[in-house]
Amino acid sequence: MNSKNRRAAAVGAVVALQALVLGACASGEPAGSGTRVEAAAGSGPAGQPRIAAVIKGLDNPFFQAMKQGIDDQARAGGVPVTVQAANSITDTTGQADKLNGLAGQDFSCYVVNPISGTNLIQGLARLSALNKTVVNIDSPVDPAAAKSANVKLATYIGTDNVEAGKMAGRRMTELLPSGGDVAVIGGIAGDVTSGARVEGFQQGIGPNLKVVQTVAANWERQTALTAATDVMRANPDLVGFFVANDDMGLGVARAIANSGKTGKVKVISVDGNKDALEAVKAGTLDGTVSQYPYAIGHMGVEACQAAAAGKTLPPNVKAPVEMITKDNADQALASTPKPFGTYDDPFKALIQ
Amino acid sequence: MANATLAARDREAWSARLKDLGFWAEWAALVGLVVLVIVFQVLNPTFLSAGNIASMLVAAAILIILAVGQTFVIATAGIDLSIASTMTLGAVAFGQAFAAGWGLPLSCLLGIVAAALVGVANGVIIARGRITDFIVTLGTLSAASGLALILADGKPVTIIDPVLLGLSTGGLGIFGWSFVIAVVVALVAHVTLFHTRFGTHLLATGGAPESATAMGISTERIKIAVYTISGTLAGLGAILLVARIGAAEPAANTSFLLNSVAAVVLGGVSLFGGRGTIIGPVIGALLLVALVNGLTLLGVSQFYQPLAVGIVVVLAALLTRFQR
Repeated sequence: MNSKNRRAAAVGAVVALQALVLGACASGEPAGSGTRVEAAAGSGPAGQPRIAAVIKGLDNPFFQAMKQGIDDQARAGGVPVTVQAANSITDTTGQADKLNGLAGQDFSCYVVNPISGTNLIQGLARLSALNKTVVNIDSPVDPAAAKSANVKLATYIGTDNVEAGKMAGRRMTELLPSGGDVAVIGGIAGDVTSGARVEGFQQGIGPNLKVVQTVAANWERQTALTAATDVMRANPDLVGFFVANDDMGLGVARAIANSGKTGKVKVISVDGNKDALEAVKAGTLDGTVSQYPYAIGHMGVEACQAAAAGKTLPPNVKAPVEMITKDNADQALASTPKPFGTYDDPFKALIQ
Repeated sequence: MANATLAARDREAWSARLKDLGFWAEWAALVGLVVLVIVFQVLNPTFLSAGNIASMLVAAAILIILAVGQTFVIATAGIDLSIASTMTLGAVAFGQAFAAGWGLPLSCLLGIVAAALVGVANGVIIARGRITDFIVTLGTLSAASGLALILADGKPVTIIDPVLLGLSTGGLGIFGWSFVIAVVVALVAHVTLFHTRFGTHLLATGGAPESATAMGISTERIKIAVYTISGTLAGLGAILLVARIGAAEPAANTSFLLNSVAAVVLGGVSLFGGRGTIIGPVIGALLLVALVNGLTLLGVSQFYQPLAVGIVVVLAALLTRFQR
């Protein structure tokens, strides 16, 4: 599936390039499949970007939605785009190799979502030396490393994970007005994203809630289920769990159901993937802080378009986050993968 | 193995036996488990409560089944690095079939068959192609996860089924059904390994392949058989995994691979093949689960848990050097 899409994307990119070399704007070759994005015939002012995107592993619905956002906006804007993804969420070197491969080709704008703060620095330094536009989405490039390697980032678009954690903390405080002990299930021990969400949660909870334990469950649903069972055993008075992502959140919800404490122990997680939204609607999950990878990908392409049109980009753009509860789960499900509320998109105005 | 002879010995032999490192090495996992249980029980009295024992046994069920499969392979001096990815593939095959409305029995069958086929492929390539086990299963590790991703299109499938729910939550007293299944698997494996001709041939293949061939044992067929067993058990583990988490996910499950090998090593099975037990790896699996459970109960910082697991595994491996 993926490799086919990727091949189609590569073919699409080559075809588009040839068209450009011939001095014509890509004039809508009959598309084969998926990723091949056609430019609308007759469109294409001088400021038309050629976009390459490198994102994290496509084994996760979150990044699939991100890719969908990139493809949709590219199709709407009639700009060619090539999307490459790492093999998995831990494949830091493979992702760097993919960026280096794309860096050697003639793209004008690169959208990158690095797995770690520093794994793409080498390729990005090369791009900055060539004066290409680099748009950083989702996971930030480490600012100190970027500075020392002379990497110039046009803009950063991403979710503030600390803010997402805070929202979860505030919601937990609303759900548990009388207070009590809560536990936290994080991702891999030492993971930055997980750490930021947990930190935010601790800032967001009110004074009468107390975090009694933090456990690392490696982003695995089964491990989270086991850990939550053990934590509830150790703390029989526990009233809530904050879980760093939805997949693990569903495992924790299962553990609570198994011990017959549904409703007594609250669970709030982060991500807002489809299964979690359905669980919130059904009441097994008490809430999820929904992020919008679709909107992040979408804005990444818009940023490239704005840069190509010669506009100055805002340096730091916050992607929308929404607290999904039983009351708005239906709305969220109906509009998924797009946010159901309105959100601030500064790039829209720039490319009008 | 050793305890059959143990009972026959005289009382005087006991003191000598306790001084003999070989005895401790033979039972490293059991000794470790007993020590851990005592330590955790002293530090936290809820450790040995019925509820906690029940949840530990259920949490250990999948690992026990995988460790048994891994034992068969390691007893022939091989190693199956693809066992966890094979389980993932089995889970995904099961999930896709279930989502397509095949019904539970057929879906279970498909999950097991898909995983068993990976095992057959491993065995055939290793035996007929004469390539090192390590390399082949390293390749299938990747191939099986890739196939799982392709089949599932990277998306988890939520599976809600009363039978599966009963399987993961019901049981006989403190023994959850999934643990009961794991015990049955271990018993069948024990009988197969020590009371059948196949088991004898298998251990001979691991211990002295040339002699085994000279005796007229087809080591190729034995190799194919053990990898098929390992794959089939991974498929069974897949069904328990789906029952446990209520979803079929194409996630990597790397921790299961590492823990399955660790449980076998803890159980005193020689990585050079030819000698091993089934009870050892089962206790090894229980020990690993008890370790994480106890550390969680005590609220030990998450950063210390991997360190503790690593130390225990290396200590056990050191002890096995003194095996007779």
